[in-house]
Amino acid sequence: MAVASVPLRAEVLSLLRSLLKTARKFGDYNIREYARRRAVDGFRENKELLDPSAIAAAFAEGTSQLEVAKRQASVYTLYAPSAKSVMEIIIIHFGNTGRVVMIATA
Amino acid sequence: MATVSAASVRFASLKPASRSNQTNGVTSGVKFVTIGTSKLSFPSLRSSRFRVHCAAKPETVNKVIDIVKKQLALSDDTSLTPESKFSSLGADSLDTVEIVMCLEEEFDISVDEDNSQNITTVQEAADLIEKLVLQKAEAA
Repeated sequence: MAVASVPLRAEVLSLLRSLLKTARKFGDYNIREYARRRAVDGFRENKELLDPSAIAAAFAEGTSQLEVAKRQASVYTLYAPSAKSVMEIIIIHFGNTGRVVMIATA
Repeated sequence: MATVSAASVRFASLKPASRSNQTNGVTSGVKFVTIGTSKLSFPSLRSSRFRVHCAAKPETVNKVIDIVKKQLALSDDTSLTPESKFSSLGADSLDTVEIVMCLEEEFDISVDEDNSQNITTVQEAADLIEKLVLQKAEAA
């Protein structure tokens, strides 16, 4: 088993960018938002790691997750749903301000 | 006995006088400052000559500021100037990557890896956005 090398700072940021770019490709709002959230949270959680082997292990895990995400993004396009998720409709209509919008239904 | 006939130069009509001076070869000591007068008397002239090429449009800068505020969860009354550095607003490199991704989505551009590492202030982001939008418009 080859020893994983410690990634450089630029490589780590590049991995995050790739994960976020792949997350954008998902058609399903829920999965897209989850992928973004999980990527950012995962990187933030491991931000303070000092041990080189732990850093390398986290980087390897991130890279494998990137492969999973890329595969799933292409699989999901084969089975794209016809209707948009209601959250997406709300955000497109009202904008993504982060504030809760009350919608009255008769 | 050459007398300088500066008195014969008529200031009422600037342009013809300058041409006649050149054809006569008479070097009058009068320098026509056209830059100053064009600003004053011809407001309809497009001042494209005077635009500084590195400046970005204010609405682009404002959009960038809005996105940065939202990403870093800053309150609305924090004043952001174009020279504000992201690091001084409490953003680390992860936040910077997120901000660049948000800007990519907002302006529908694609920032490549090297450029994304160099963005440290609001002004730099706005300038890069303008350049990429221009490149995209030219390619289309």
